[in-house]
Amino acid sequence: MIRRLLATVPVLIGISFISFALIYLSGDPTDFLLPVNTPEETRRAFRAAQGLDQPFLVQFLDFLAKAITGDFGTSLRFQQSAGSLVWERLGATGELALAAMVIALAIGIPGGTIAAYRYGSVTDRAVRAISLLGQAVPNFYLGVVAVIVCAVWLRILPSGGRGTVEQLILPAFTLGFGLVALIARVTRSCMLDALRQDYIRTARAKGLGENRVVWKHALRNAFIPVLTIIGLQFGLLLNGVVVTEIVLSWPGIGRLAIQSIYARDFPVVQTIVFLSAFTFVMLNLMVDLLYVVLDPRISYK
Amino acid sequence: MRGSLRAFAIGFAASLLAFAAVAANAQSVPRNRTLVVAQNFDPQSLWPNGTTASTNLNPGGAIVEPLFWVNPRTSQLEPLLATAFKMDSPTAYRVELRKGVSFSNGEPMNADALVHTLKVFVDGAVTPAYALYSTPLDRFEKIDDHTVVIHTKNPYPAMALVLTQIHVIPPAYWQQVGHAKFAQQPVGTGPFKLTEWVKDDRVVMDRNPNYWGTAPKGVERVIWKPVPDDTARAVGLETGEYDIAASLAVGAAPRIQGQPNLQLVSVDSYRVFNMILSTLPKHQSPLLDKRVRYAINHAIDSDAIVKNLFFGKARVLQGQLLRKQQLGFDPDIKGYAFDPEKAKALLREAGFPNGFDIDFKIPSGRYAQDREVCEAIAGMLAKVGIRTKIVALEGGEFLRQLRVQELGPLSFVGLAPPDDPHFQLSQYRSDWRYTFIQSAELDRLIDEGVKETDVAKRGALYRQASRLLHEEAPTVPLFLGVDFYGASSRVKGLLPTGDQRIYLYGLSLE
Repeated sequence: MIRRLLATVPVLIGISFISFALIYLSGDPTDFLLPVNTPEETRRAFRAAQGLDQPFLVQFLDFLAKAITGDFGTSLRFQQSAGSLVWERLGATGELALAAMVIALAIGIPGGTIAAYRYGSVTDRAVRAISLLGQAVPNFYLGVVAVIVCAVWLRILPSGGRGTVEQLILPAFTLGFGLVALIARVTRSCMLDALRQDYIRTARAKGLGENRVVWKHALRNAFIPVLTIIGLQFGLLLNGVVVTEIVLSWPGIGRLAIQSIYARDFPVVQTIVFLSAFTFVMLNLMVDLLYVVLDPRISYK
Repeated sequence: MRGSLRAFAIGFAASLLAFAAVAANAQSVPRNRTLVVAQNFDPQSLWPNGTTASTNLNPGGAIVEPLFWVNPRTSQLEPLLATAFKMDSPTAYRVELRKGVSFSNGEPMNADALVHTLKVFVDGAVTPAYALYSTPLDRFEKIDDHTVVIHTKNPYPAMALVLTQIHVIPPAYWQQVGHAKFAQQPVGTGPFKLTEWVKDDRVVMDRNPNYWGTAPKGVERVIWKPVPDDTARAVGLETGEYDIAASLAVGAAPRIQGQPNLQLVSVDSYRVFNMILSTLPKHQSPLLDKRVRYAINHAIDSDAIVKNLFFGKARVLQGQLLRKQQLGFDPDIKGYAFDPEKAKALLREAGFPNGFDIDFKIPSGRYAQDREVCEAIAGMLAKVGIRTKIVALEGGEFLRQLRVQELGPLSFVGLAPPDDPHFQLSQYRSDWRYTFIQSAELDRLIDEGVKETDVAKRGALYRQASRLLHEEAPTVPLFLGVDFYGASSRVKGLLPTGDQRIYLYGLSLE
């Protein structure tokens, strides 16, 4: 367990290094931060004040040394602590990701299970068709279409922003739709497999009701691959978050990330990359631990 | 698993409650007395002198006011915190402050406050974004409680423009909190006071009950929303979520115009779009021959570009980079007429009967329709035999190449220098970072113009400079940008400026 935790340290440092190097190579932040006709002396002084005139490795090690103490530096664009800029927006992104996941689970798991149970039926075909659609439609397009239909034509939901439950629906749906599809598909195929197993026949033979057989015996066994997918996808949700947050004006870190990349705001990009990597690694760790709960045969001892 | 689902559910319910609380709080001012403005970005800073970005200045300027402003309805300099200014000598400018004005924290707005503001303004470490304006300022002298004399290092005829950029801050509060915190919690003399700023979601400001002037009628509260997506801004305007939507995409304009409860406001931008045709020896190319530069000028049909890509709303430039409203605009200069045959003849004369191949550097996604405009240009050039290879550059790389003169020999730019002819023309001084011409005569005109305080003489110098640029043709002046704003018909008197400033002065809500 401790070994696993320690193994994440080089991963985080590696990721920080790569992202730092990429954004360093991509250009000089003063191009964006100061008007194009700013005198060169002012520009030089600004670079020196922000430590941007230092060699690459010095800048990186400086960042790392401070990051360990929880200080991610000062945003070049906002002149505020990068950590607090990200922190202020983390709640919004967490809420959106969670809501998307809840939608995905609430629809995907029952959908996949029923499809598998009624293999070949109309329901099955419908679930498969929706899955295909969900995975094929990119979420920037889905978001725009959803806004036009729900906000402009039907006028039942607001077009963007955060604050009310209505405002959460469209972004959560946009972000969760692709996931619904994936979870339904994986659940369906795992359930198909599980329902054919001997223990299901045994369960039925001992006279258990169909509901118990399907939702308890079969689903619990089929759940491990689904859980893996959930763990991985939670991390990948951050991808979708960037687009969803822009299209639906959601004040989260995805939007901050993309704007900071365009503005070459190193400290903020670094903080977000670092935090995302950390979240991703931790989620996978959690998933591994949940396996033990679900399947007593798995043990890390 | 059930346990973690329950945790999800509890967390979810808790955040719903949190929304409800926020929503209840925001409803204390009725919607019809609230002005909701959608801009592309959340401000980085609400201190107007923190950056030159209009998305910061628009909300920040409603709280912290400048000395003067240029009213876009009249194009005249109008007083705000100052009532008048006059030139004591070419290097001394006397500013009279308005009497009886206080900051919203109670500090008096007086000569001490202005002198303090000016000291902050010229401090390059704190105010780097305004260095271009502040470099000629030298020292500040308090005459009496409401009079300050600004001494400059040399004569500075663009002083009026500088005075519109100086936003007066309360000295005691500034010293107490420092500039970083001030940018987050500004205090000023303006018609509105900051109530709440939820990062990347909304800036909420409420009416300042002690405002010295006439506050916008019918507006109790202003909410500034960052809506980065172009479509989303237009959609939110249609659904009535926003009362003003800034920087609409060109394509959204006709749709807004067609709706009875909406209005479309199009504003000539200060952004001057032109092609760079480098005359510098380090950019070896056929463009070093003046005839080739003339040929390119004759090959481009700016009218067609404006008509087809901007619904005819952008303004075609008349063979010069200055706008009609600017000092030094020369009505006698006519642009090179669109004439592909003449262009071909000029190329033949210059020794390129079969044309030539050349790279054409363009920004991608930086300006409205940039890619489309450049493809149209490339097509027009191809018709006279100039085969271009388009090199599209990401915004940051584009600015870097501009700054280090790598955009030569041929590229497309749209720059919006501050609204004084000097800032436009000085971009062509021989030693400027991104000039593409070197001419001692032009340098002389620029240097004399910046010091000439006689308006008529100054105008004559700039007309001469414009003629020289026309004759040497280091550019193809194309068109002025156009900014589209959509607004609800409840909003009266909306007129943003060409630098995308939305001033609330003179605006009202029905």
